[in-house]
Amino acid sequence: MIELSHVSKRFGEETAVDDISLRVPKGKFCALVGTSGCGKSTTLRMINRLIEHSEGDIILDGQAIEVYDPVKLRRRIGYVIQHTGLFPHWNVARNIGLVPRLLKWSAADVQGRVEELMDLLGLPVGEFAHKYPHQLSGGQAQRVGVARALAADPDILLMDEPFGALDPITREKLQDELAKIQARLHKTVVFVTHDMDEALKLADHLVVMREGRIVQQGSPLALLQQPADSFVESLLGGLERGLKQAALTRVKDHMTSMGPTLPAQSRIPADFSLRQALSMMLRDHSDRLTVVDQHDVPIGELSLRRIIKEAQLDKGSARE
Amino acid sequence: MSLLDALPTPRLRWDGRHPNTVLVSLSLIMLAAFWGLDVVSMAPNRIVQGTSYGALEALGWPGALLATLLLSFIGILAWQPSHRHYRALLAAVMTLMALMPVGLIASSYLLIDPELPQARLGLGATYWVVLFVLLLCLIEIRLRLKLTRLWPTLLLCGVALVWWLCATLWLDSLALVQEFKARDRQFLRAIGQHVTLVGAAVSISVVVGLVLAMLMRRYARLQKGAFAVLNFLQTIPSLALFGLLLAPLAWLAANVPLLGRLGVSGIGTMPALIALIAYSLLPMVRNTYIALEEVSPDTLEAAKGMGMRAGQRFWQVRLPLALPVLLEGVRITTVQAIGLTAVAALIGAGGLGTFIFQGLGQAAMDMVLLGALPILMLALVVDAGLGALAEALRPGGTR
Amino acid sequence: MSNSLSIAQPRKRALLWLWPLMWGTLLLLSVVAMSAAEPLFRWIEPDARQVIYDRADFYVLLGRHLLVVGIAALVTVVVGVSAGIVVTRERGSDFLPLVGQLASLGQTFPPVAVLALAVPVLGFGTLPIIVALMLYGMLPIVRNTLAGLQEVDIDIKTAAHAMGMTPTQTLRYVELPLAAPVILAGIRTSVTINIATAALGATVGASNLGDPIISGIVNGNMAYVVQGALTIALLALTVDSLFEVLQQPLRSRLSAA
Repeated sequence: MIELSHVSKRFGEETAVDDISLRVPKGKFCALVGTSGCGKSTTLRMINRLIEHSEGDIILDGQAIEVYDPVKLRRRIGYVIQHTGLFPHWNVARNIGLVPRLLKWSAADVQGRVEELMDLLGLPVGEFAHKYPHQLSGGQAQRVGVARALAADPDILLMDEPFGALDPITREKLQDELAKIQARLHKTVVFVTHDMDEALKLADHLVVMREGRIVQQGSPLALLQQPADSFVESLLGGLERGLKQAALTRVKDHMTSMGPTLPAQSRIPADFSLRQALSMMLRDHSDRLTVVDQHDVPIGELSLRRIIKEAQLDKGSARE
Repeated sequence: MSLLDALPTPRLRWDGRHPNTVLVSLSLIMLAAFWGLDVVSMAPNRIVQGTSYGALEALGWPGALLATLLLSFIGILAWQPSHRHYRALLAAVMTLMALMPVGLIASSYLLIDPELPQARLGLGATYWVVLFVLLLCLIEIRLRLKLTRLWPTLLLCGVALVWWLCATLWLDSLALVQEFKARDRQFLRAIGQHVTLVGAAVSISVVVGLVLAMLMRRYARLQKGAFAVLNFLQTIPSLALFGLLLAPLAWLAANVPLLGRLGVSGIGTMPALIALIAYSLLPMVRNTYIALEEVSPDTLEAAKGMGMRAGQRFWQVRLPLALPVLLEGVRITTVQAIGLTAVAALIGAGGLGTFIFQGLGQAAMDMVLLGALPILMLALVVDAGLGALAEALRPGGTR
Repeated sequence: MSNSLSIAQPRKRALLWLWPLMWGTLLLLSVVAMSAAEPLFRWIEPDARQVIYDRADFYVLLGRHLLVVGIAALVTVVVGVSAGIVVTRERGSDFLPLVGQLASLGQTFPPVAVLALAVPVLGFGTLPIIVALMLYGMLPIVRNTLAGLQEVDIDIKTAAHAMGMTPTQTLRYVELPLAAPVILAGIRTSVTINIATAALGATVGASNLGDPIISGIVNGNMAYVVQGALTIALLALTVDSLFEVLQQPLRSRLSAA
């Protein structure tokens, strides 16, 4: 668990982070979102003591971070940065095995772990283990970066705009894989990004920062339903907000049981999002969809009126 | 926020609480040198080895105290540096430099017996060390105050003027001055020869270098061969190249009367000039070529897109953008040529090297200094001047 | 694909060794068997009484030359590289601007002038030339060490730090290996320049390969000058090509394939 209470950071006269408090429970995914220079990277880097905070308390697993030896602390925390920071003179396997080797694991253990991780990240060992970073594509390099961060099986993973330099298609693919890995490994993740869609897609807990302060924090849905001010609303995409919210809601949570009328022609799997459902309605000129399970067996239906009504209800509940 | 913004850059620790360890340690070094090394040496005449004197004997109590105070002042001010303190430090360094000849005058009164007109005063290790360290202090202060090179250069010129005045008016007993007085005509001629030789070699190699670099850009095959030849030339010791040119030029002068009448001869200026040009070409061509190639292709593409003709692109875009790097080449070439010209004295080309080699031959160290010091100063002045010019010509001014 | 790579690499390495071997052999030949080329030198200087420099054996001169350059190089590498390392650490960072400026300023000092200034302090002989070579050769090394260490990508250093490497580990396993090609290039420049500059030592009584040149200039005997120049040039080429062999694998590992 990571807990920051009333933490500030000053560089000389300038205050980079101003009295922020936040809590990331064990196994949760927290995203720090904001424009450039809002202090989100500084916040992240205070957690593994790359930067020492000026005021307040940062507590990891019940202990103030000052108690830990900084070098040992960093070996226990995974860290991924935008430009990967892979060592250009080491091959992929050696890069991934860095922290286990710093922790003096045996050579066999290191090798086993490296192969396991390359497997997890979809990098075939035979093809990639002996390549050097300059021989990799951006997406492959960042997979190595993530594997390196996970190598010593840390409980905490810090990610600083890890996908910021990738093209949209690679970025989306890596986001999906990160979500899958997180679903399996349940790390405590703090993820810095300026891309709100990325944050909405991945995070359990969203923290919006501006000029060193936290403007709003909460679940993605709560933020979408009730942005604190126009800044958060503009980050959330203004008019697009409704669709973003719909993207976070599953069809199966809003479907009704099969009605007495004939089932609609268009079929949608139950684990798709409401956004996809709306898109399908527009495409097929239909205000009703048949919801099916993974075996394509109808299990319920979804109507346009229902979606709109639910949105109203959600908003009402968020207000309370 | 990029990672760079988040890093506290150690190079820019400007807060006044942090002592400037550089200046503090330099001040300590100077204090140690002042009390530990010889300040001056005194010899009754040119031939006899001099006796050395420490700070107390050479400057007396008041002088030694004043110097100690000024030197410690630097360290104390640097302990809590601020903009104002750095200015005070600059003033202290300049004062110390200007006081150096005064110290020598004091020594000559204290140590030299007026009965011995031949007696001469030699500069001790203290003066050299303190002078060198003071220059280091000046560099450090210049960087901290973010001054351009121009101001320190002007201040140093002022100090040099003070030295010159003191030397001509009151320092007859200084060995260096005596050596100079014994051959002042010769000295001025040597400086003239030195500067002329360097100037001729550099200007010729600038022109040849520019033409060669442009040819290389047009004919790619020329590039590799030319660089190989120029690189090979640099591996031949300057001493040898000067020597090697003696014979063929002597032969030419003897067998082609026209050349002989034009001043070509085996010994003297001609082989020196040719060798100097040969050495100057590599740095010149390399920098010119890089300067012209380095201009961003985007800029040139834009110029082309705006409808500039090839000639216009070269004269209005490529050349102005290349100029600072090109000047850097001229600077390196000139400084190198100043040093090499000193070697040319060995084959009778004249110049300041004459004093060095004559002095070495006679084991007259003050005469060696008479040659070496002006060469050093010439190199430093040219370096600072051309560096300042390149800085000023950089588009957008100094960085 | 990996197969063809692994075969091509050693062949290229072997080809690299060709140059130092060739220059080295020529150097040895010229040192041992200079007198065999007497007819050639006789052609250059038909009138001279003697055309082969014989006041000292060439291999003795070569040895002394190498010794002077070697000592100077050893000291400059140790001092220069450690100075570069110290001022790029956080503790020494105060000295970084000064050392950086000094590194660019130092080559302004002409070696002849430094040599001349060293003689009054150190006397005649080998010592002043070693000092002059050290001063003159220090600067490419310091400059390149600074450049090499500073060029290491900040992201890479941050990553090393964040992964829990100690500053010493970062220096040893990340910064120095990455800066090595640049540092080595500096050492190469320094040493090759100094091989030529060391000849100046002959003017202050240090006996080395500059002796035949000085003697040739003084006596007007071109053959001597050629012999000295030839041996020095061959020595410079041998050492330079040896550095090329050292640098090649470092460079190819880091650059894009």
